[in-house]
Amino acid sequence: MHLLLLGASHHSAPVELRERIDFSRRGIPEALHELANIDGITEVTVLSTCNRAEIYAFCSGSNSAQEPLTEFMSSFHDVPEHKLTPHLYKRTDRDSARHLFRVVAGLDSLVVGEPQIAGQVKDAFEIASGHGYTGASLNRLFHCAFGVGKRVRTETGLGEGAVSVSYAAISLARKIFGDLGALKALVIGAGEMAELTVTHLHAQAVARISVANRTPAHATTLAAKVDGIAVPWEAITDELASTDIVITATGASKWMLTRAHIADAIRPHRDRPLFIIDIGVPRDVEPAAGDVEQVFLYNIDDLQAIVRENLARRQSQIDRAEFIVNEEVDGFMAWLRSRSAIPTVVALRRRFEQTRQNELTRLAPKLASLSPAAKARIEEITRLIVEKLLLTPTEQLKAARDEQEIATDADTIDRLFQLTEKDHNAPRDETEDHRDSRSTALRSSAVKQR
Amino acid sequence: MNIIPLLFYIIAGIAYAVHFGTSSPMSGRSATVSLVIGTLAHTFVIGMQTMQVGHIPLVGTTGAISAFVWLLALAYLYTEMTTSERAMGTFIVPLMVILQVIPAITNSVATRPPVLESHWFEIHVSSLLVAYASFALACVISVTYVLLFKELKRKHLGVFYARLPSLQVLDVMNRRAVTFGWLFLTLGLVVGAVWLLQVQPSAADPRVQAMSILDPKIFIVVMCWLVYTFELYARRAIGWGGRRAAWLSAIGFAILMLNFVPIGYFVTRSHNFY
Repeated sequence: MHLLLLGASHHSAPVELRERIDFSRRGIPEALHELANIDGITEVTVLSTCNRAEIYAFCSGSNSAQEPLTEFMSSFHDVPEHKLTPHLYKRTDRDSARHLFRVVAGLDSLVVGEPQIAGQVKDAFEIASGHGYTGASLNRLFHCAFGVGKRVRTETGLGEGAVSVSYAAISLARKIFGDLGALKALVIGAGEMAELTVTHLHAQAVARISVANRTPAHATTLAAKVDGIAVPWEAITDELASTDIVITATGASKWMLTRAHIADAIRPHRDRPLFIIDIGVPRDVEPAAGDVEQVFLYNIDDLQAIVRENLARRQSQIDRAEFIVNEEVDGFMAWLRSRSAIPTVVALRRRFEQTRQNELTRLAPKLASLSPAAKARIEEITRLIVEKLLLTPTEQLKAARDEQEIATDADTIDRLFQLTEKDHNAPRDETEDHRDSRSTALRSSAVKQR
Repeated sequence: MNIIPLLFYIIAGIAYAVHFGTSSPMSGRSATVSLVIGTLAHTFVIGMQTMQVGHIPLVGTTGAISAFVWLLALAYLYTEMTTSERAMGTFIVPLMVILQVIPAITNSVATRPPVLESHWFEIHVSSLLVAYASFALACVISVTYVLLFKELKRKHLGVFYARLPSLQVLDVMNRRAVTFGWLFLTLGLVVGAVWLLQVQPSAADPRVQAMSILDPKIFIVVMCWLVYTFELYARRAIGWGGRRAAWLSAIGFAILMLNFVPIGYFVTRSHNFY
């Protein structure tokens, strides 16, 4: 059983290609359906965001399903293989798990530590598991991944601090006012940055957004975009008194708001702060206005400095996050190895149970005279003995350090208990068939090792 | 016996500081758990002392300090549980530790002189202690407010920006704590005055005779009442919220603490019953 990963992301593929291999265009369930039909693939999940398209799959036997996965990617998206292959990355087992964990932690993102990716991975997993394309192994893998995401969020500062100017402004507003829901915002001027910031404010559901512009038509346009109201240029001073957040972006050549304006707006009876975001270049607000009590004035450079500091802080947390990722990968791989011991454990249990049943049948005439209670007791005691005898070997098998050790152990147990050759009486099922083929493969690899 | 809660308070204080610095969930949980254990132990100690002397051990500054620390622990735990905010613990638990040292090393319970055998006395002392605990919270909230305010004004965002709630939330918490404390301070003072008028004519105890507005302890506490009254008035009337209110809360409590400990022990002629 191997874990395979095939994908492309913003690290490996240009946006033109990423657009073409976006799974959501044709539908993820359809892709999952086709993938599940590929020979050898037992479980599969597709992760598709604007920055990446990845297939995670478990395949039985060797990792030969890599090629069919590439072929699928090419035919499903109708992109010639020779154009696609140079941009794809392929990983197996440990590297695949490590990749997924890094993705969830935000370590592989364009902006390190961004939080959306964890939710996108969760959605991808839910689609696959909802349609029944995941099993015990992928379930475990993704739940471990979500655990990594949570640990990285709580134990490191990787996701902390705003990393864009407009978001830094929103975070500051939240630190000053707490809940933004009851606040009134005033936008003076226009421009891309002002629009971006006010859109963020709109998303935070502030109570009212007013827009003022020297050209009333511009004010009306922006106001319409953010469910705000356009106010006349002359009304700015009156608006200031009832406003909590001011965004200025006129870039006029002289101060548009002076210290006197601001001091006037912070009249007696007002015990709320005033937060001014001056993103105009040249600046719109006289810097001395920041000295007024209860006024917090931030210009574009201040916000950019915060962003730089946050990015640097995130960068310093990467090592800690990578450490967590590696720790969790170790844990997952140990679990996966213990899974490969399961067929041997099952066979061993069946052999013991068979022996117990045989003995009970053989002794049945002698026990016939016993009361039903006593018989039930004998049944229970023999079962408990078998359980106890098997407990330590089961634990030891699962705790093996690597595939090689599991193969050797399985080989020895097969030989000692004659699990493969002599176990003719036991009913054969799929699991056992699987075990037989696997233990043969393992045996041959063990021989090679010797 | 008061040393046992003290030990847990010390552990809690260290854990809160570690939590503030690292924000690791483990240290946060251990901080709260050790504070809860400390408070339970403290409750037990006060209960035992009540059994020993037959009344709540509020007599004398030492008993009052112990009760004050206990109330503060309860008030803080209530705030933590309702706001899921542990940052204040870093500031409040050290104050508890410092104060708790006094009962921990004195370790004796004052017996009640006959003149204090009255429900008026119990209401007087306990409402003042509730007021003090409330003002202590207000003070700590205000100190954090000022620290966060400075970071925001200087545009240098550091640890307070990362750990503390917003300025507005801190301001509202300060206002609530001061209002609550003010109500109990007023009640305590009024009850004290009424009770004094009742017993003074007949009491032979020189300490009761010495009680007047000019006694340092009474005088200063009345000053404090004026400070807090002004804080509440100024907020409504002239918009003195935010940092100014925070400073008033801090100053009010600093005077209260001076009154509570050094003056309570060494200066007052009337209010000393241990």
